[in-house]
Amino acid sequence: METRTVGPLLELNKAVPSFDESGLPPVPFSMRLMPGECVVVEARDPENAIQFADMCSGLVPLDDGSVKFMGLDWAELHDREVNALRGRIGRITRRPSWPTFLGTHLAITLQQLHHTNRPMDDVVAEATRLSEQFGLPGLPVLRPALLSPADLVRAECVRAFMGRPRLLLLEDPLEASPVELENAFLSALTDARDKGAGVIWLVRNNAIWQGYRQGVTSMWRLADDGLVAVRTG
Amino acid sequence: MSEDNIAPREGGGDRDPILEGDATPHRQRRPFVLHEWIREKLAWLGHITRHQARFFLIMLGASWGVIYESFRSHSWRRTVCYEFGVTLNSVIGGGLIATLFAGTLTGVAAVSQTIYWLGLAGLAKMTGSILVNVVIREIAPILVGILLLGRNGMLSVTELGLLTTGGQIRSMQAQGLDPFLLLVMPRTLAFTVGGFTLGILFSFAALLTGYIISRISGVITNPVWTFFYDVVVAMSSTDYLVIPLKFITVGFVVGLGGCLTGLTATNEDNLRTLLPRGFSRGMLIVMAVSVLFSLDL
Repeated sequence: METRTVGPLLELNKAVPSFDESGLPPVPFSMRLMPGECVVVEARDPENAIQFADMCSGLVPLDDGSVKFMGLDWAELHDREVNALRGRIGRITRRPSWPTFLGTHLAITLQQLHHTNRPMDDVVAEATRLSEQFGLPGLPVLRPALLSPADLVRAECVRAFMGRPRLLLLEDPLEASPVELENAFLSALTDARDKGAGVIWLVRNNAIWQGYRQGVTSMWRLADDGLVAVRTG
Repeated sequence: MSEDNIAPREGGGDRDPILEGDATPHRQRRPFVLHEWIREKLAWLGHITRHQARFFLIMLGASWGVIYESFRSHSWRRTVCYEFGVTLNSVIGGGLIATLFAGTLTGVAAVSQTIYWLGLAGLAKMTGSILVNVVIREIAPILVGILLLGRNGMLSVTELGLLTTGGQIRSMQAQGLDPFLLLVMPRTLAFTVGGFTLGILFSFAALLTGYIISRISGVITNPVWTFFYDVVVAMSSTDYLVIPLKFITVGFVVGLGGCLTGLTATNEDNLRTLLPRGFSRGMLIVMAVSVLFSLDL
C-alpha cells in the first residue's frame, strides 16, 4: 500500500453515501482537504456529523463516487490496508467510544500500541504530556465510566492528538466543555496542522470556532442537498 | 379495547400493550385465508431456519479466520497479546477453583460410585476403561464447557453485545482497530488453551477425589499410582488424541460462539434477548461438540 504524500489528503469526489446505511442525504458530496488545512463543517444534526465523519473514514458504503484518503480510495482497499490507514486518523466523536473493559490510559494509547512499533515508554510519555496539556493531572488510569464528563472530553482530545495523525475528524469537542480547554485544543490543533495534518472540524454552533476564525481555511454546511460552501469573509 | 389488551401481561415478556393495541384492529379486519396462514407459517419457519444457519455459517467462517490469523505473525500485535493474556488469566485463573470444585464433586458423585459398584459386581478390572470413557471422555468436556460458558462465555456475550449496540465497536473500527483481530481471535484462543487446561485439571481432580473416597471407605486398597496406572493403561491411542482434542474444541467453540453472539447483536437487542440467546447457543455448541466426537471416534 503506497500512500500519496503530496496532493489532497482527503478527497470526496461526488460521493453518494448509502442512505440505508448512514441516514445521510443520498446526494453527491464533493470536498477536498489539503495537508495543513482546517475545514469547518457546520452540521446541526449530531447524528449527521457522526455519519459524515464515518464517510470520510471509509466506514459508510457509497452508492456512487469515491472517497480518497492520502490518494487511496477506501472502496478499493483490503481490510488490513483500510485499518492501517484508519490508524492515521485522529478522531473526537460524539458516539460512545470508550471500551468498558479497558482503563482510560489503555483506551487512549490503544490506537498507537496497535498500529505502531513505538516503544511503550514513548507512547506513555506522549500521552502523559498531552494529558497535562489538556488539563488532566496526568494520564488517567481509572475506567472511563469513573471519569467526569469534562475529563472524558479532555481524554478524547488526548486520544485524538496522539501520535502524528494525518487527518483529524473533530466532532465539536469545545461544545459543553470547560472554557480552559479551548486554548489547549487550539494549540494542539495548530501544532498538528504545522506537522501536515488536515483537520475537519464539525460544529453545531458557529460561535464555537470564531476564536480560530483566522486559522480556518474554508467553511461548509452539511445540508439536505449535501455539502454547501459558506463564505467566511 | 379488545380482549387481547385486557389480558394480563406475561411476566418477563417483551409484549408492548400499546403496539399490540394498534395492531389488533388490523388483525381483526383480515378474514382467515388458509393458504395465507400456511404461507405466513412457512415464512416464519424459513426465517428461523435461515437465522440459525446464518450463525452456523458465521461460526464456520470465523473458525477458519481465527486459525488462519493466529498463524500470521502480523496478527500478534501488542494489543492482541494483551487481550489474549487478560482473557487467559480470567479463564484459567478465575475458573480454577470452580473447576477443581466441580471435579471434586464429580469424583465424589461419579468416580467413587463407579469404583464401588464395579467392585461389588466383580468388574473391578473394568474400572479404568469405564472411568476413561465416561468421566474423562464424556462428562469432563461437557462440565468444563458449561463452566467456561457460564463464567467467561456469557461475559463475552454481554461485553461485546453492549459494545456493539452501544456503538463502541463502530468507534474502534473508525480507529482502524479490527474487532475480530483485537477481540475475537485472542479471546477464542485463550478459551481454547483454558478449555484444555481446565479439562485436564478437572479430570485429575475427579479421579483423585474418587480414589481418596474409595480408599477411605475401604473399597480399594491399591496405592494411588497403581490406580492412575490402571486408568492410563485403559486409555487407547485414540483416547490420547480425542480427549485433548475435545477439551480444545469445546474451549474454542465456546469462546468463538460467545464473541460472535455479542458482535452480531443488533440495535434491537438488549440483555434480555442477548443472554438467553448466548446461553442456549453455548449449550447447543457444547453438546454438539460432545456428540460429534462420540459419533465417529
